[in-house]
Amino acid sequence: MTANGELSPDTFAAFYELLKPFNKTGVDLKPETRFSEDLNFDSLVVMEFVATVEDRFDISVPMNILPDIATIQHLGLAVEKIVKAAKG
Amino acid sequence: MAGIFDRFANLVAQRQAMLDEGGSDPFQVRMDEVLSQTEAIIAGKRTILCGTNNYLGLTFAPEALKAAHDALDAFGTGTTGSRVANGTYSGHKDLERTLCEFFNKDSAIVFSTGFLANAGVLSTLMGPGDFILMDADCHASIYDGVRASSAEIIRFKHNDAADLDKRLARLADKPGNKLIVIEGIYSMLGDKAPLKDIVAVKKKHANTFLLSDEAHSVGVLGRYGRGLPEEAGCEDDVDFIVGTFSKSVGTVGGFVVSSYPNFDMLRLVCRPYIFTASLPPSVVASARVNLGLIKNGGALRTRLMRNAKALHNGLTEAGLKLASDISPVVAVVAPDPQTAIAFWRGLIDAGVYVNLALPPATPYGYSLLRCSLCAAHTEEQLREVVAIFTTVATNLGLIERRTPRVALG
Repeated sequence: MTANGELSPDTFAAFYELLKPFNKTGVDLKPETRFSEDLNFDSLVVMEFVATVEDRFDISVPMNILPDIATIQHLGLAVEKIVKAAKG
Repeated sequence: MAGIFDRFANLVAQRQAMLDEGGSDPFQVRMDEVLSQTEAIIAGKRTILCGTNNYLGLTFAPEALKAAHDALDAFGTGTTGSRVANGTYSGHKDLERTLCEFFNKDSAIVFSTGFLANAGVLSTLMGPGDFILMDADCHASIYDGVRASSAEIIRFKHNDAADLDKRLARLADKPGNKLIVIEGIYSMLGDKAPLKDIVAVKKKHANTFLLSDEAHSVGVLGRYGRGLPEEAGCEDDVDFIVGTFSKSVGTVGGFVVSSYPNFDMLRLVCRPYIFTASLPPSVVASARVNLGLIKNGGALRTRLMRNAKALHNGLTEAGLKLASDISPVVAVVAPDPQTAIAFWRGLIDAGVYVNLALPPATPYGYSLLRCSLCAAHTEEQLREVVAIFTTVATNLGLIERRTPRVALG
């Protein structure tokens, strides 16, 4: 994802909570933490995590953007964008 | 420099570990002789086939064999061409007409496999600005198909019509078309889509269409074997039905049927239709005959469901954990992949073939011994399958060893 900008502290805090049950090896979570390399997520776990994010924020995250999502920051910014668009 | 397969290192290591344990390789089974729809010779041993998706047992139907032989002699071993070049014979058109009559739809397009039918239809049906809402548990061919589509792809929770409704509502102000994608019967656990609920949701939203992949339900559900839409009484509300000839129809190939106006134009844009050789004439001929047998196959469906019930009940009574309700797919749950592999090997060594299904190909991370029933299974064969499952599971410590009852006095 090429979107720049800072993840809002609220979004990161929400992700921090959501990631707890997925963070099996107790990785220190930062915005730049990578799902695949750092958290050892396979594509299926990524999908599962995205589903919990969708529930939490009451949005749909299109699958099309997933190839560009590598870090918490990427997904967080994408979620913020979708939430903003939904509010109009 | 990195090797080109380095990124698969984990997979290769897992596979090697499995082979190092010794025993047969679950993903390299070889059948040296096929004795019938329900038995084959594997590794020199007579083996009961209980995982071939051959639900109605039509692979040796005499009428289909004869039609295939005749077509083979008359038209040769293959068409050597695509449907849009030299690969459309009268048989292909006859088969498409038969499909239209079978499903009572205006158009039918035959593909060379079910996978290609999904890949072709899902990549082309929706375009830029449109939306595809797919059940999260859909088959790999649906995932690959939608990935090649220029529509926006949204997954909804498996069999959850309320979740689908919520997601469609979020798109209410978007002008594009919306396509819901589901399966009649899901392959791993044999569970059916809540079709009536999904149709109700579809009707609530504008510009919304429904596609159902009936790969595992054609031949199995409905009085005339037309799948879940027939059983649920909502055939007119399913806009597109995708299916395969490689399960109940007993051969290979795929299709899509629809009454949507000008549906046939997909032939001009579906790359998996245009750039693949068409089905051999013998395959086409046997598919056509077997569709007729399916239509009049009420007795076969009765036997299939009787067998489904017998295996389900037998395995449940033995104390095994099942992830399926009574259905032609019976999913026995093993606690982890290693145990599942050992379980599978125990079964094959004792003469029962089932599918080993491991995550990530399974829902909920299940490690499964996936069985599928055939109308041609005999009661005796199923008793043997249950007995072998029981012995293997007992040896693995998954169920308690039963103390033989001793008559007193």
